[in-house]
Amino acid sequence: MYPWKRPVGWWLRNPRYLLFQLREVGGFVSGLFALLLLYMLVQYHAGPEAYAGFFAMLASPLMLVVVAVLFGFVLVHAFTWFFLLGKAQPVRFTKKPLRPGTVFAINVVLWVLVSGAVLFIVFGGL
Amino acid sequence: MARAAVWNPGRDAIRAHSRVESRPPVVLEPVLWGIFSAGGFISAFLLPVTIVVLMFAVPFGLWPAERIGYDAFRASFSDLFVRLFWFVLIGGSLFHGMHRLRHSLLDAGLRKVEPLLNIVLYGIAILGTLAALWYTLLFDAPLPFR
Repeated sequence: MYPWKRPVGWWLRNPRYLLFQLREVGGFVSGLFALLLLYMLVQYHAGPEAYAGFFAMLASPLMLVVVAVLFGFVLVHAFTWFFLLGKAQPVRFTKKPLRPGTVFAINVVLWVLVSGAVLFIVFGGL
Repeated sequence: MARAAVWNPGRDAIRAHSRVESRPPVVLEPVLWGIFSAGGFISAFLLPVTIVVLMFAVPFGLWPAERIGYDAFRASFSDLFVRLFWFVLIGGSLFHGMHRLRHSLLDAGLRKVEPLLNIVLYGIAILGTLAALWYTLLFDAPLPFR
C-alpha cells in the first residue's frame, strides 16, 4: 500500500481549486509589493534623483504590464478574503451568523471607505 | 479473556486521543498564523489603493506627476500617521507573503528543506520589517547610539 498522491494538475480541473491557487499566489504577490514599496522608501531616502529614477522605472511599458498582472492577483486576494470572511465569520457581532453575501457587501463598503481615507490622508485627496 | 476479542472501536479512539494530549502544546504556530491573518487584512484593505495611486495614476494620465513627486512625498512623510501607514503596510504584507509562500512550498512537497525555508522566508520577513521600521520611524529619531 502506498499513500495516495495528488495528481500534479489537480488545481486545474475545478474552477474553485484554480481560484484557491490564484488566491495563494495573490498572498505571495502582496509580499512582492511590500518589497517594491520598501525599495521605494530606500530610494526616497537616497534623494530626489533616486526617487525619480524609481518612478521612471515603474512607468516603462514592460513594468506597467508586469505590475498590472500582479495587481490582478492582489485584487483576487483582497476580494476572496472578503468573501471568505462571510463564510467563516471568525468574529461575530450578531447572535445569528450573517449571510455570506451581507458580510461580503459590508467588507466591500468598508474597503471603499478605507481606500478613500488612505487617498485623502496619505496621498492628499483626489 | 473473550472480552478482548469483542470489536470495540471506542477503546482505540480513547487511546489515540490520550496520545495526542500528551504532546507538548503548540505555541509559535498560532502566533504566526495570527500575524499572517492580520497581514492579509492589511494588504487587502491598503494595498490596492496604494498601487493604483503610485503606479497607475500618473502613467494613465489621471494625475500630474508632481502629485507623487519627491516634494509631495516629502511633505506627506513629515506626518507621523503617514509613516505609520507605510510601516504597517510593508511589514504586514511582507510577513503575509512570506508565510504564504512558505506554506505553499511545503504543500508542494518541499518538507525536506523546511528549516532552510524557515530561515530564508522568515528571515526576509523579519529583516524587511526591521528595514521598514528604520526607513519610516527610526531614521531621524534621537537614538542613544548616535
